[in-house]
Amino acid sequence: MPNKSHIQLNDLTKSYQEGDKLRSVLDELNLSVKEGEMIVLLGRSGSGKSTLLNMVSGIDKPDHGEVIIGGTNLAALDEKNRTLFRRKNIGFVFQSFNLISTLTAHENVLLPLKLKGATDDETLDKAQQFLDQVGLGDRGDSYPDRLSGGEQQRVAIARALAHEPMLILADEPTGNLDYETGRQILDILNDLVRENGRTMIIATHDRDICKIADRVVELRGGKLSEVEDIAEAIK
Amino acid sequence: MMSNPKDSNLLWLSSLRFLMRHPWHFALSILGVALGVAVVVSIDLSNSSAKKAFSLSTEAVTGKATHQIRGAAENLDEETYRQVRLDAKVRKSAPVVEGYARVQGVNRTFQILGVDPIAEAPFRDFASQEAGIELSEFMNGENTGLVSETVAEELNAEIGDTLSLSVGGREFSLRLIGLIEASDDRSAQALESLVVVDISTAQRLFDMQGALTRIDLILPSENEEALKEKIRPNLPEGAAIVRSESRTETVEQMTRAFEFNLQALSMLALLVGMFLIYNTMTFSVVQRRPLIGRLRALGVTRNEILTTVLKEAVLIGFLGTVIGIVAGIFLAQVLVKLVTQSINDLYFVLSVQELSIDLFSLGKGAILGIGATMIAAFWPAREASQAEVSTVLRRSSNESKITGRIIPLALIGLLVGLGGVGVLLIPDGGIVAGYSSLLFMIVGFALIIPLMIVGMAKVLRPILGKISGLIGKMAVRGVVTELSRTSVAIAALVVAVAATVGVGVMVDSFRTTVVSWLESQLQADIYVQPPSSVARKADATLEPMLVDLLRETEGVADASSVRSVDVRTNKGTDNLVAIDQGAAAKQTYQLKTGTDSFWQRYTEQSIIMVSEVYAYRNNVAIGDTLTIETDKGNSPFVIQAINFDYASDIGTLTISRQVYDQFFDDDAISGLALYAAEGVEVEQLVERLRERSAGMQEVFIRSNKGLREASIEIFDRTFTVTIVLRMLAILVAFIGVLSALMALQLERSRELAVLRANGMTPGQLWNYVVTQTGVMGVMAGLLSVPLGILMAYILVYVINLRSFGWTLQFMISTEVLLQAVGLAILAALLAGLYPSWKMSKANPADALRND
Repeated sequence: MPNKSHIQLNDLTKSYQEGDKLRSVLDELNLSVKEGEMIVLLGRSGSGKSTLLNMVSGIDKPDHGEVIIGGTNLAALDEKNRTLFRRKNIGFVFQSFNLISTLTAHENVLLPLKLKGATDDETLDKAQQFLDQVGLGDRGDSYPDRLSGGEQQRVAIARALAHEPMLILADEPTGNLDYETGRQILDILNDLVRENGRTMIIATHDRDICKIADRVVELRGGKLSEVEDIAEAIK
Repeated sequence: MMSNPKDSNLLWLSSLRFLMRHPWHFALSILGVALGVAVVVSIDLSNSSAKKAFSLSTEAVTGKATHQIRGAAENLDEETYRQVRLDAKVRKSAPVVEGYARVQGVNRTFQILGVDPIAEAPFRDFASQEAGIELSEFMNGENTGLVSETVAEELNAEIGDTLSLSVGGREFSLRLIGLIEASDDRSAQALESLVVVDISTAQRLFDMQGALTRIDLILPSENEEALKEKIRPNLPEGAAIVRSESRTETVEQMTRAFEFNLQALSMLALLVGMFLIYNTMTFSVVQRRPLIGRLRALGVTRNEILTTVLKEAVLIGFLGTVIGIVAGIFLAQVLVKLVTQSINDLYFVLSVQELSIDLFSLGKGAILGIGATMIAAFWPAREASQAEVSTVLRRSSNESKITGRIIPLALIGLLVGLGGVGVLLIPDGGIVAGYSSLLFMIVGFALIIPLMIVGMAKVLRPILGKISGLIGKMAVRGVVTELSRTSVAIAALVVAVAATVGVGVMVDSFRTTVVSWLESQLQADIYVQPPSSVARKADATLEPMLVDLLRETEGVADASSVRSVDVRTNKGTDNLVAIDQGAAAKQTYQLKTGTDSFWQRYTEQSIIMVSEVYAYRNNVAIGDTLTIETDKGNSPFVIQAINFDYASDIGTLTISRQVYDQFFDDDAISGLALYAAEGVEVEQLVERLRERSAGMQEVFIRSNKGLREASIEIFDRTFTVTIVLRMLAILVAFIGVLSALMALQLERSRELAVLRANGMTPGQLWNYVVTQTGVMGVMAGLLSVPLGILMAYILVYVINLRSFGWTLQFMISTEVLLQAVGLAILAALLAGLYPSWKMSKANPADALRND
C-alpha cells in the first residue's frame, strides 16, 4: 500500500440553518487517507456522516476548510468543475441503491463510463466484466424494478467501480438489506475494491462492517476520532 | 469544458424511456401542444384564405388597371367615359358596371362584371374581344353573359342555356353565350364566382341606366401626372382618379381588427396550451427529482440536465406541432366557412370559400408550437438543472422550499399584475398593449395561486372532514403537502378555465348590449329591405313603385326611409346613411355625446352624426369637420353628434335626407320603416303588405320583432367563430385538467399502495382519490371565476374598445360562471377515475417495490 496521503480534509466546517438556530454538523474536522486505504466512518444517525461524504464527493461545499483529493482542492472548485471531478474520480454506493430506473442494469454500469468519455467497445466490455464480477452477468437487460434489493446493490457496486475512480464512497451500503445479503454485499465490495486497488470510505452505524476496515474513525459532535481497537469497536 | 456528445446518449435514452413509461402523460402533453397549434394554424389559414380570396377576386375584376375613376356617390355618368376616351384621348380606359347577384342552382353570391369587350383587351384577358367573345351575341340588347367552365359544370349548364339571377330581390334571365377558359388553377379560383356581361346588361340588372360603377385606366408611371391632368377637366363634380389598390387597402383596413382579434383569441388558446406544457414539464421534472439527483451525484452536469429536459420539450413540441398542423388544416376547412361568412356579413362579399394552404401560416404554426413549448419548458428545465444534488436526493426538500416561497411568490404575482395595469395605462398602447397586459395579469394571478390554495384548504378541510371524515381531511391536506405539484396543476387549470369564462362573458356582454340597442333602434313597427349581398350593409335599393305602394297601404300611418351609400371622405371610403325621420329620429338614435338641439338643426344644416366606432377609428370628435365628396363637389360637414351603433364595426355617418338630397343626385331608397295605424295588428299588416307587393321586387317585409330576431341571428352567426374558439379553449382546458390531475394521481401510486397496504379498501381508495381531485377541481373552478372576470373586463373594456371602439355593457351571466366551475369539477372527477380504478385493481406489493 503506498504510504502517501491521498485524501486530505483540513479544518472542514459545515453548519445548517434550522429555524433561528445554526446547527454545526462538521466542526474543523481533519482526516488523512492513504491511497488504497479502506476507511469505515462510524456515527449515529444524524451525526453528519452523509454530510461529510457530500463534502468529500463535491456534492456540497464546506463553509470553511479544504477537501484535497489527489492534489485537487474540491472546496476551491465551482459547481461545474466539482461535478466533472466527481464523474471522473468518484464512485458512489448509496443505501437506497439509487439506480437509474429508466436504464437497464448493464446501462446503469455503462453510464459513468460513457460520462467519462470512454469509447463504445471498450466500455461495453468493461461494464459486462464488472457485472460478471458481481455475479449478475446474465441480468444485464433487467430494469432495476425487476431486481431484488441485493441485486440492485450489486449493480450499484459494479457501477461505482466500472469507471475506475480514485475514490469510492459508500453510504450505509447494507442499510436496506437483510443480514445475510448485507454480508454478501460487503464481501463483494471488499474483494472488488481491494482487487482493483481503490480507496474507499464507508459511512455506517453498523459496527460489524468495521471488520473489513484498514482504519475506523468515528464522527461525534462534528469531530472525528480514530478508533484504535477495531475488535473492541465490533463488540 | 464540453463533453463528447456520445456521453449524453444514455441520458437521452433514459429520458425517452421515462416518457414511454408514462404514456398518458406523454400523450396528453403532446395533445396540449397540438390543440394550441391547431387553433392558431386554423385561424391563420382561414384569415389568409379569406384575404387571398379577396385579392383573387379583386385581381380578376381589376385586371391590369392601375387607376380607376370613381364617382362621388355610388355611380358615375357614362358620358364621363366617352369624354375620357374621346376628348381626353386616354385609349387605355374601360367602363365597368359591377354588382352582386345570386344565381339559381348554386347557393352563393356571384360578382357580376359588366364590361365593354372592345375596350377590354389591355385590362382583362378573359373579357376581351380577343378572348373570343362573340360581339354580335354579347351586345345584342338581350341579357347575355359568360361564366367560367367550372361554374358551367357546377350549374350543369351549356352554351345557349338560360340562367336565373336574383338581384336585390328582382329576378332576371341571362342567356349563356360562352365559357371563360381559365389558364391555370389560380385564375379558375378567381373566376369561380364571376359572371361577365355586357355593360348595358349590367345596367339593366342593377337599374343603372346611363351610369357606370367606375372607369378602369392604365396610366403608365412615366406620364401618369400628365394623363391625370388631361382627364380631370372631363370629370364631373365629386369624381376622382384613385389607385386600383386603394380599394384593397380600404378592405384590409376594415378587416384588420376583426382578423387581429381572431388571431389574438387563437393566441389565447396557445397561451393556455403553454400553461399546459409548463405544467406537464414541471410535473415531469418534479416527478424525476430523485432520478435527476442520482444523475447529478454520478457527475452529470447542470447543462447536461438542462439540455436533456429541453430535448424532451423539443420532442413533445415537434410531435405536438406536427399533429397540430394536420389538425389545424382540418379545422380550418370548417373555420374558413365561418370566417368568410362573418366577413360577408360584416364587410363585403367574398365569393371564394375554399381553403388555401399557405406555407407561411404552417411555418408560423411550427415556430409557435416548438417555440412556445421551449419557452414553457425552459423554467422547469432550468429548475431541474439548478437544484442542489444534496437536496434533490431528499424528497421533501422541494415541498419545504415552495412552502417558504408562497408569500414571496404572491408578492411577485401582485407586482406582475400591477405591471399589467401599468401596461394598460400606456397611452396609444393599442391592442398589443391590451393583450400584453392580459398576459401579465394571467401570470401574476398564477403566482398568487399557491397562497390561495393554502387559504382555501383551511376552509375546505373542516368541511370535507364533516362530509368524508378522515379521508376528506387527508384529501385536502394532500393538496397542500404536495403543493409544488398541485399548485402548478391548479394554476394551469385556472388559466384554461378562466379563458373560457373571459371569452364567454365577452360574447354575453356584446350580445346583451346589441339586444338592448336593437330595442331602442327599432322603433317602427315594420321594416322593408331588399335582399342585400352584405347582410349589414344596405347596398341594394327599393323600387320607387313598390315604396309608394307600401306607403299607401291601408293601416300604414306613417313611414320613413333610409338611404345607405359609400362615399369618399377626407378619412377614406365611408358609409353614409341619410334618414328622413326629421326630429322624430331622436327616439331612435341614442346619442353618446351631442345635444338634443342636433335633431332640430340636422334637417337644415350641413351637420353630421357619426357613430362612436367611426369617431374612435378616425379619431374625430364633436366640432371636427368631415369633407365628403358629393355630387356638388367636396363639402364640409361639422360633427355635431356621436351615436351608439353596433351594426357596423367600420362606423357610419348619418345626415338627414333633406341635406343628402341637396348634395347628391340620388333619389333611391335602401330601406323603409312603416308605422302601423292605431288599432292595427302588426302581423296582419305585414301579411297585407306582403300580399300587395307580390309579383313585384322581392323584398323582406318584417315586423319589428322579426327584424330583431334576424339581426340577432346575424350577430350570432358572426360570433360563431368566437364560440368555436371558446369551445376549443374549453376542450384544451378539459384536457389540461385531465392530464394534470391524472398524472398527479398516477405519480402517487406508491403512496396509494402504502394506504392500501395499511388496510384502505379499494372503495375507500376511490373515495380518497376522487375527493382529492374533486377538491382540486373545486379550487381551480372557484379561482378561475375572478381571473375569468378580469380577463373579460380587459377583453370588453380594453381590447374590444381599442379594436372597434364600442362601448359595451359588462354582462356576467351565472350560466358562464357555473359552466366554468362545473367544467373544472367534472374534469377533475373524471381525472380521478382512472388512477383510482388502476390503484384499486393493482397489487399494492408491486407499487411498493423499490425501483
